[in-house]
Amino acid sequence: MNVLDAVLLALRQVWAQKLKSFFTLLGVIVGVTFLISVIAVVEGMNRYVQDDFAGAIFGINTLTIERIYTRRGGREDDRTRRRQARNPDVTIADAELLRENVPGIWYMAYNADRFMPEVRAGQNKRKNVRLIGVTDEYLALQGWDVVQGRGLTRIDDVRAIRVAVIGDAIAEKLFPEQSPVGQDIRLGPFRYRVAGVLKRQGGFIGIIRDAAVVVPWGAYQADFSRRRNVVESIQIKFRTSEALVAGESAVEEILRARHQLRPAEENDFSVETASQILDAWEGVKKVLLAAGPGLVAVALVVGGIVIMNIMLMSVLERTREIGVRKALGARRIDITRQFLAESATLSIVGAVIGMVAGSALAKLVDVATPLPASVPMWSIVLGVALGLFVGLVFGVYPAIRASRLEPIVALRYE
Amino acid sequence: MMMPPDNAVILTRGLKKEYELGAETIHALRGVDMQINRNEFVTIMGPSGSGKSTLLNLIGCLDTPSSGQYWLSGQEVSQLDDNDLAEIRNRQIGFVFQTFNLLSRTTALHNVELPLIYAGIPARQRHERAKETLDAVGLGDRMKHQPSELSGGERQRVAIARALVNQPSLLLADEPTGNLDSATSREIMEILVALHERGETILLVTHERHIAAYTERLIALRDGTIESDEPHTIGAEVM
Repeated sequence: MNVLDAVLLALRQVWAQKLKSFFTLLGVIVGVTFLISVIAVVEGMNRYVQDDFAGAIFGINTLTIERIYTRRGGREDDRTRRRQARNPDVTIADAELLRENVPGIWYMAYNADRFMPEVRAGQNKRKNVRLIGVTDEYLALQGWDVVQGRGLTRIDDVRAIRVAVIGDAIAEKLFPEQSPVGQDIRLGPFRYRVAGVLKRQGGFIGIIRDAAVVVPWGAYQADFSRRRNVVESIQIKFRTSEALVAGESAVEEILRARHQLRPAEENDFSVETASQILDAWEGVKKVLLAAGPGLVAVALVVGGIVIMNIMLMSVLERTREIGVRKALGARRIDITRQFLAESATLSIVGAVIGMVAGSALAKLVDVATPLPASVPMWSIVLGVALGLFVGLVFGVYPAIRASRLEPIVALRYE
Repeated sequence: MMMPPDNAVILTRGLKKEYELGAETIHALRGVDMQINRNEFVTIMGPSGSGKSTLLNLIGCLDTPSSGQYWLSGQEVSQLDDNDLAEIRNRQIGFVFQTFNLLSRTTALHNVELPLIYAGIPARQRHERAKETLDAVGLGDRMKHQPSELSGGERQRVAIARALVNQPSLLLADEPTGNLDSATSREIMEILVALHERGETILLVTHERHIAAYTERLIALRDGTIESDEPHTIGAEVM
């Protein structure tokens, strides 16, 4: 009896009892569905974080310097909290000191931002806006291109001129029928003139840029800042990653000296780079990829045991068939092969269903959430291989039992 | 060492079979000597417990004797291992059972193909030979039917086709008419008679005298030994 015959026989049986087969295969289906969808999301996230996210938020070769605030609900103990409460603010003076002393700076900017409940233009308004006060190099540093009008200049900043560069989503909402450039918008009690519109970014990351109102630092300080000379963050962009590394240690050295930290003390400020975000993601990914196989393994082992049970029942039910086959000349190896092929086929059918379900789930995540997901080819291969493996491993015992049946006993079995 | 005569399909010497049943030893066969030659049509009869099932199992190579020797078509088979016995069953013996023992959920054609599958015959040839054999038992138009769609007589004819398809040297029929009505029984027996006339060697086990009457020799078993062994005339006494 060749393998193809056994596979066809198994498929016929799966098809003949669809519902029973489904429940038999549930464990394998769940395992492979989970496998495929987790890999798809991790892969998608991976590409997303590397290609878009880190670059978009933090920029390539960019440092971000911020004060360390104690997060509400964080896990720090009281002593750490008290120490963090004493952390100094990051100030304009810090920024200027860094500008003078850090080597290899390409662009440098600092900014502060706040939430605005709404921005209006005539009758039109847009709710929930992020207002960002920035120095003149900010847009260039972030790579935020201006598509209409102009960006912000040093003169805007120094003279605290009330001009704004607005995100695409805001322009669309406030000025649906005309060019926003040269028009006025109202931010709280203040009137700002639109100098330019940012290029649309779109997608998940675009939530920040497309709904932003960017104004010169001077005007922001005058109209919105509660604390003079305090900045939210300083960004420094370098031309190369080597310059970034050198710059990062220069920044730490300068700020530690300025804050009079002893060698044993930790930094009381944070210096983040895109690579740190990538590191953080690597950590999350590691957890996902470590927990994932465990869950998949549990599902597959459960699935395998169910298959083994079903196969043992099948051997019992078909004892007479086995007797007949033996009487007609089937050797042990023929019977073993038949039942192994059957359990492997069963399990692979489950794996294929799981692959379809997992891919569908990944597609759903891709379409319905901002998270991207893509099913890599190797995960499909892995899914089928695992299916085959489970079927063979858990099929061995029933198959051997079947092959060892004595023909006269099997033939007499009722 | 003795050699069986050329025309002997079955030759046994001192064939014994014992079972352990708890502390007791059951002597199912107490030394059977018999010879069945090519193209004989023989019935084995005997009450239950006479050892005829055990003898049939041994002759059919489904079981091995405790002692004694058995030559099938000149080959000593009493001490062969599992795999060799499977091959002997596949190539030398065709079984016809009382309960037909066809595989359900598959076609008559596939059932007849089974021995050829285990003989390793390629698919195309398998189909051809299975079809020819089904045609020969008059079921050419029923090949795609499953056993549940066939009558008892038709099922037994499928089983006969399956027994014949690999051209065995011996046809073993164990109560082949036990589950059939008398008209169908006659039909099946006529097929067996025709096969015998064509040259097949047939060993039949039954407990019905009128079935035995179709055969030309009657071996009676009692308590694990041969009680009588005498010729019979086809078609005598009955119907």
